[in-house]
Amino acid sequence: MVRLSDLHEAEATHMRARAKAMQPVDAAPWITPKALVNAKIAIVSTAGLHRRSDTPFNPGAVDYRLLPGDVDFADVVVSHISTNFDRSAFQQDPNIWFPLDRLREMAADGEIGGVSNWHYSFMGAQPNHQALAAAGEEVGRLLANDEVDVALMVPV
Amino acid sequence: MGALANFIERAGVATASISLIREQSEAVRPPRALWVPFALGRPLGSAADPQFQKQVLRAALGMLSTATEPTIEDYPVEAPAEAQPSEWACPVSFAVAQDTSITARLVAEVTRLAPWSSETRAARGRTLFGVTGAGPEQIQEVARAFGGIAESGNLTDLPAESVDWAFAMPLLVRHLADDLRTFYHEAIAAQPGPAAPNHDALNDWIFSGTALGDASLAIAAHLTKDNSSYALLVRGLLIPEGYYKGGSAFESATGATPQGDS
Repeated sequence: MVRLSDLHEAEATHMRARAKAMQPVDAAPWITPKALVNAKIAIVSTAGLHRRSDTPFNPGAVDYRLLPGDVDFADVVVSHISTNFDRSAFQQDPNIWFPLDRLREMAADGEIGGVSNWHYSFMGAQPNHQALAAAGEEVGRLLANDEVDVALMVPV
Repeated sequence: MGALANFIERAGVATASISLIREQSEAVRPPRALWVPFALGRPLGSAADPQFQKQVLRAALGMLSTATEPTIEDYPVEAPAEAQPSEWACPVSFAVAQDTSITARLVAEVTRLAPWSSETRAARGRTLFGVTGAGPEQIQEVARAFGGIAESGNLTDLPAESVDWAFAMPLLVRHLADDLRTFYHEAIAAQPGPAAPNHDALNDWIFSGTALGDASLAIAAHLTKDNSSYALLVRGLLIPEGYYKGGSAFESATGATPQGDS
């Protein structure tokens, strides 16, 4: 479990300091989304995922990569920089970071309206949240253009 | 992650976030966040457990119909336990030949592990190996490159192996280590015990006498000696906190944080 008391003391101290320094960004007007059964959903991950042919992420990256809805995970690698998590669970089952199969199943069962044809990946561990504003807003526009109703935000 | 949710919502797309570190979500205030009591690297809780994962998704997405202002909910279910360090031992042992070079030891290790890695890759139909630019079968090249850097301390020149490396030095060393860990994780996955090893168990194994751990520590010492802020940053990215005794990952003075949630 991630309770800060369970992490190495130096790491927990660092995390606390980071949280204390973080400031809310200006929120958008509150959105009342359409019912889930009608909502198209996309995944936005901050696990540093990308296809092998993509340029990898570097530390502090503020750009993003696209992952198609029919992505083959044999074609996906991870250039996230952190060592405070391991990749073993993702190696075993990509859905634990990027739950595409689960969303497809929920769409097939009528729990959600659909799954986007495109999903997005960022590098996490970004200390300067404002630096993500341009890319975040751009991804928002891309999602809206694809008539995506909900972005499922998954950290790592 | 929380800030990104707010940026995306500016385009009119609603977000539902999973949160791994509650303190950071409290600070950033994403519109809807489900804090989950899972380990870093396990945001959906449990691998190969579709029902568990779906329950987490239902809880997160369910906030879209219940929250009317920025809200953090706590997910009440713990993930199935993974094996703690005291509960897991690697089924493969390595003969330690102290009189051979670290590269020779590393190459011997990957050669020993190769059949199990191949077995896992065949069963899964994929590998995560290759972020360095190495091809799926170039584990020997990656091992020689990493061992060579550990021996030479050369943090400037790209390794001479026939690989189109995807990173410059010294950042490449961090990803070489990752490709090697990926390969080792694949190998032990072919010999599953009652429960998969957790993050600490994996690290304890790597850093308790494998050539991979020893090579990582040797490279960390070279990065420490270099003493530039970037070298110290890379050192923080190479070895999990607590396994290198020559300095903390959190002493780096560079702008990019070496560790953190996402």
